[in-house]
Amino acid sequence: MSTPSEAQPRERAPIPERLTLTLFVSGASPASSRAVRRLRDLCDRHCASGYDLEIVDIYQQPAMVVSRGVLAVPTLFKELPLPVRVLIGDFTDEPRVLAALGLSHPKGD
Amino acid sequence: MNSPDAENLGERPRVQLSKSPTGINGFDEITDGGLPAGRPSLVCGPPGAGKTLFALQFLVNGVTRYAEPGVFLSFEESRAEVVANVDSLGFDLDGLERDGRLLVDALTMELQAVETGEFDLEALMVQVAWAVEKVGAKRVAIDNVEALFATFARPSVVRSELRRLFRWLKDQELTTVITGERGEGTITRHGIEEYLSDCVVVLDDRVVQDVATRRLRVVKYRGSTHGRNEYPFLIGADGLEVLPITSLGLNQQVSSERVSTGVVGLDEMLGGHGVFRDSGVLVSGSSGTGKTTLAASFADAACRRGETVLFFSFEESESQIYRNMASVGLDLAGWVERGLLRFHCERPTTRGLEDHLATMQRLIQRLAPTLVVIDPVSSLARGATAFDVSAMLMRQVYYLKSAGITAVMTLLSEQNGLEQSIMNISSLVDTSLEVVILSAFGERNRGLYVLKSRGMAHSNQIREFLLSDAGVDVVPVVVGAEGVLTGSARIAEESAERATAQGLSRESEELARAMESRRESVDAHVAALRADFAAEERLTRRLIQASEQRHEAVRLDRLAQGRRRTVKPPENEP
Repeated sequence: MSTPSEAQPRERAPIPERLTLTLFVSGASPASSRAVRRLRDLCDRHCASGYDLEIVDIYQQPAMVVSRGVLAVPTLFKELPLPVRVLIGDFTDEPRVLAALGLSHPKGD
Repeated sequence: MNSPDAENLGERPRVQLSKSPTGINGFDEITDGGLPAGRPSLVCGPPGAGKTLFALQFLVNGVTRYAEPGVFLSFEESRAEVVANVDSLGFDLDGLERDGRLLVDALTMELQAVETGEFDLEALMVQVAWAVEKVGAKRVAIDNVEALFATFARPSVVRSELRRLFRWLKDQELTTVITGERGEGTITRHGIEEYLSDCVVVLDDRVVQDVATRRLRVVKYRGSTHGRNEYPFLIGADGLEVLPITSLGLNQQVSSERVSTGVVGLDEMLGGHGVFRDSGVLVSGSSGTGKTTLAASFADAACRRGETVLFFSFEESESQIYRNMASVGLDLAGWVERGLLRFHCERPTTRGLEDHLATMQRLIQRLAPTLVVIDPVSSLARGATAFDVSAMLMRQVYYLKSAGITAVMTLLSEQNGLEQSIMNISSLVDTSLEVVILSAFGERNRGLYVLKSRGMAHSNQIREFLLSDAGVDVVPVVVGAEGVLTGSARIAEESAERATAQGLSRESEELARAMESRRESVDAHVAALRADFAAEERLTRRLIQASEQRHEAVRLDRLAQGRRRTVKPPENEP
């Protein structure tokens, strides 16, 4: 489901970590499905080091919604690498998503 | 003759809204029962106005008094902050949570979120629903809903989602308090009152001359009557308390027992028995007229009866009062030692009006005195408007009266702008005494009169109020040719009168003596005249006798001559 990280050459100083993501969505609504699809696509294209994505349905796991203090859907937590970042919205603003996830590389890279 | 409309008004069947009592003293009175049950209400005001407290009190009272579990959701503060903030007020939120009857949760986003596209606040709805279900809530409070506008960059989304939330709360028939920030020209900053049309309460915290005063107003209450005024409220030991001046019931039990004022002359002026036990007494006068001393006399008299007195002093320290009162023979320190008198001295400017009220109420409840002195009540007025003061006093007097406590308040009457408040206060108290300065003949003396005293015969005179080391007394003044005389003029007039009286008695004695001697001389005269007359009488009688003798002698001579003329005297001659 992701690009194998082992294949990366070791010369680049910091080894890019795998992304650990938690996404809160509201059931199987079209908007939610669309957001999930968009996020996966984006990560597949940009996340060379691979990622783990947990999807939480707010109706199925309300206690988790409460414990994480989620108000909006979709809400994405980038748990790792630290620091934790919170993204709200359906990922249509791709540059912002990439910046927030730390996936945007300088053009000449 | 009435128009049909006017007639119908009284008979139209009124469907009274079901209400949910807040348990906030005074608020339920002005709203005729509390907030609309099963509907959301908006409570708004500037920061620090008491919105959060209002919401929490509504919930805590719901749990503890009305068996309605509640949920408190904060958009502003963390759970720990909320709990800590009301801990000082004795709200044990943790305890109530452990019992499963209350739930406090913070709906704050700890981290700044990045917005990447369309979203809604369905997760918020899920959180609210989850909390409501968990405790079986009947009441919900959402504290500062407008903080949400700061969390998300899309006000239109927040607005429509809040609208959805309010509808959901209404559908669930949850009695909800939603707090919001006061806006410029609008009730709330983001205009959410548009969606909360059932009941809108505005809180205000105004600073007048460095002293904060809190106000509450019910701006809107659909389908219900409500007090429309701006009501002062305070945050005291028991939380928020509204002072609904105009709706105070006038149904307290009254006492006909009279208590001495501690001044014999004053008791006399008040029909000989002093004031009613459960009455409010106001002693007004300008500076240095002896208001405190008069109040201390009331206190001293109560202590003599073995009763407890609470003395609030806002101008003088306890030791200052001891010293000053000792100079007029009142041993207040002695009463304090015996535990009958208790002082509470504090500078009035240190805290706001409502704070003072709260402290006073708390002390009164703890000590259960039979008499309370507030000296001077006008000190509390510093920085407050006349309306505040009279509202506060109205509340205080009512409270004391219903508890059967005599309230003695002093009022400095020369303070600017207090004219109106004096009049207001005057209508609240039962007995109003005024100390005036009577200056004449190079002296200033104190005069005391009873401005009014409900329910008893009282003197209409101005009497002189005497303070000396012999004690406090009120004596009748002297009305001389120059008017009312007091002080040395009175004493002079009194002694002059005494002297005149003495003069008068000497004169009458002399007159009596003169009359006596005249009587003697008249008697002597009469005796002399009688003696003269007696002598005259004797002489006259002698003369009469002599004349008669002479007359007889003449007759006898004539007879003898007659015999000589006839030979024989006639036979039948007598």
